Amino acid sequence: MIGGRRPLQGRKPADRRVRVERPHSPYFRYTGRNQLVAKAAANQPRTAVGRWWAGVRKVAIGRPLASEEEAGERLSKKKALAIFSSDAISSSAYATQEIIRVLATAGVAALVWSVPVSIAIAVLLAVVSTSYRQVCRAYPSGGGAYAVAKENLSQMAGLVAAAALLIDYVMTVAVSTASAIGQIVSVVPELDPVKIEIAVVVIFLMTVANLRGLRESGNIFAIPTYAFVFLALLMVAIGLFHIATGQAHPIDTPNADVLTGGELSIFLLLKAFAGGSVALTGVEAIANGVPAFQKPEAKNAANTMTAMAVLLAVLFIGITIISRAYQILPTVGDIPTTVSLVAATSFGKDTVLFVLFQASTALILFLAANTSFNAFPRLGAILAVDGFMPRQFAYRGDRLAYSWGIVLLAAVAAFLIWLFKGNVTALIPLYSVGVFVCFTLSQIGMVRHWRKVRDAGWAWRAVLNGFGAALTAVVLVVVVSVKFVDGAYLVVILIPVLVAMMLFIRRQYDASRRELAVRMDLVFTNPRREERVVIPIPGVNRAVIQAVNVSRSISDDVRAVFITEDPEDAEGLRDRWETQLPGVPLVVVESPYRALTGPLEAYLDVLDAAWPPDKPSPITFVVLPEYVARRWWERILYNQSVKRLRSALLGRPHTVVVNVPYRREDPSLFERTPVGEAGPLPPDNGPPPAEPPAAAGPPAA
Amino acid sequence: MDGDRVAAVPEPTAAPTFHRAVIALSGHPNGTRLIQLVAEAGKPHKAELVGVHVVEVDWSMPLDADLSGRSEEIQQVLDLAETTAEHVGIKLEPVLLQARDVGAALVDEAVEREADLLVVGLAYRTKFGGDFAIGRTIPYVLKNAPCAVWVVREPIQEENA
Repeated sequence: MIGGRRPLQGRKPADRRVRVERPHSPYFRYTGRNQLVAKAAANQPRTAVGRWWAGVRKVAIGRPLASEEEAGERLSKKKALAIFSSDAISSSAYATQEIIRVLATAGVAALVWSVPVSIAIAVLLAVVSTSYRQVCRAYPSGGGAYAVAKENLSQMAGLVAAAALLIDYVMTVAVSTASAIGQIVSVVPELDPVKIEIAVVVIFLMTVANLRGLRESGNIFAIPTYAFVFLALLMVAIGLFHIATGQAHPIDTPNADVLTGGELSIFLLLKAFAGGSVALTGVEAIANGVPAFQKPEAKNAANTMTAMAVLLAVLFIGITIISRAYQILPTVGDIPTTVSLVAATSFGKDTVLFVLFQASTALILFLAANTSFNAFPRLGAILAVDGFMPRQFAYRGDRLAYSWGIVLLAAVAAFLIWLFKGNVTALIPLYSVGVFVCFTLSQIGMVRHWRKVRDAGWAWRAVLNGFGAALTAVVLVVVVSVKFVDGAYLVVILIPVLVAMMLFIRRQYDASRRELAVRMDLVFTNPRREERVVIPIPGVNRAVIQAVNVSRSISDDVRAVFITEDPEDAEGLRDRWETQLPGVPLVVVESPYRALTGPLEAYLDVLDAAWPPDKPSPITFVVLPEYVARRWWERILYNQSVKRLRSALLGRPHTVVVNVPYRREDPSLFERTPVGEAGPLPPDNGPPPAEPPAAAGPPAA
Repeated sequence: MDGDRVAAVPEPTAAPTFHRAVIALSGHPNGTRLIQLVAEAGKPHKAELVGVHVVEVDWSMPLDADLSGRSEEIQQVLDLAETTAEHVGIKLEPVLLQARDVGAALVDEAVEREADLLVVGLAYRTKFGGDFAIGRTIPYVLKNAPCAVWVVREPIQEENA
């Protein structure tokens, strides 16, 4: 890649030197023999439209990042708690609401059961988090439900877990965003009519931020999470103090929803349990992110898991006890939210602390939604690498983010919010099913794991995970059965559909891989098959001459084919062709039915049939002269026949379609070439026409 | 008077400042250390770095002869220098020259670019019991360069010390 040389004078006459230009330098960097690394300049678009689009993207999502610029921050326990727990801890903002909404259908007296139900859920949380501590220890490289189920159970179990996780991540965005907007509307009720629009805008902003490569790191997560935890603990402490000192009295719930039709029964309690079990969503996040912890990763992750579970349980039970003491009822459209009413009783309505708490609740819910923007695309990429999702999901965009996954997640979540009118209660039934499918599969996988590795303490670990699996399986059955008609049926349908889709994609990729596979023991030398070239032409013009010249470099067996409906036209062309392009036979195909592709394909069939049967079939190059349009709108005027021919010939065996573009910017070849005896240019040798004159005319120009 | 003379001498631990340095790149593995050293010294002052690799052309060949047979190795030397400087956080302009004499080319390039520092490396030769082969380039540069010259000696390996 050494280019030009520039002589330079030295201080003495004999000290001349030559500066050697390095044409590759702006675009590439050598890292070894025949090994180059592209620089940012090599990625620059070359067209005006491309440059404009790149400029827009740079403004919207930032400058492209090189792979080596990816941050690899290790997290302390405090930071990891903030980053990985926002999803789980934020569930406390709406879990109580889901319990009392179910119990209130059986009358205010039934609300007394809200506390026992929340305690039962906290016990379930303890079991699940203890089980997941084992996952942290067993999978220091990150034990997502997909990885655990695939490795220990089967590919199908892995895919079921993956489908459930994908649904779970979408629901996390939808539910958390809707709930966050609910918190804002609780403070500013005037925003209620535009809450869906606000939610869509927020999802759009999160999408842009994640396309820019927003990382789950630093204070951006730590400050809002700890602010919420601090204010929520303060709220619970004040509330419990009020209860203990007899200051808590039932209040009139504003905008209370009068719910009827329920009857206190085991089924109703199970339904309340199923509704409240949404508190467990996001518990698995720490187990997925073990590699991000500081050393010792597994131990730190396990301890962080316990801290998160304790915090979540305290907040959840505390909020439920206070809501019970004040007899807070469910509200129409969940506005104001139960947690905001609890905050109002503890801090006082319209106090600074109340507003701060509502703001921090909205913020942590947005952060919870954002966790899915990292997890969903990452899972999509893993599935794409395994061949279960389109490969585009594994490509990272300019900012090292999995752009396809981010955009898909945002689109589906925004659609769900619009479909369910931003109502959290309407969305919840779709949420819990996927979560408990993942829990159950992951725990069963862990039992198999311990049985396989059989290291110290494997038996009690297996029993622990087995107990967790059994419990979450029971909860799964309960959740599906009691919420089936409310919307859980959608997930029950969707999981098999997603699994079938992933299997179909994998089968397609496997088939194409088999078709493209090359045996390792084969050595490929020069091909022995003969080659011939066929050039469909519309007449004689510069694009055609260029195509003929290219064809001559491919093979000696070159022929042009002129398809026309007018025999007289053909005669005129033949005379000129033989004068100007000697040695290249011209075949005229009359097409009385004015067709173009049919006669050409038929002509190629005839050529194939005429080939000696004892010789291997030749490779037929169909060279298509093409006129390159300068502007976008010119593309409508030119090359339509070329496009038709190209698509008609693409699947033809032993045939290679070659496009030879002619650019108006480079006419030097024709300016140098003498016209010969013919004297001045013939009248029709001007710029190539947009389409051949005849309707059945051949391609090019 | 004594006091004035003492004040004029720079602090022994302070690195001398420069604004434009020409670094001779020989392709020796020590080159990376050399560039890191200069890049780190020049970074606080936003110094400009020019990495120069000179291909010495024998008198039997024209000066502008196409020596592309070795081109990939040469390009790699320059590209590695550019990458090393980038990692430190400073830009290095790689320059490829063909000349009859390496020393003269380096000095001429430094003069043309008005460099205030010329840096050359001195490799340790392990053959024949170990030695620093100073050659003819370093003495030429030391004698003729109008700017400051740093000769950066490669550390002696422990087993050879």
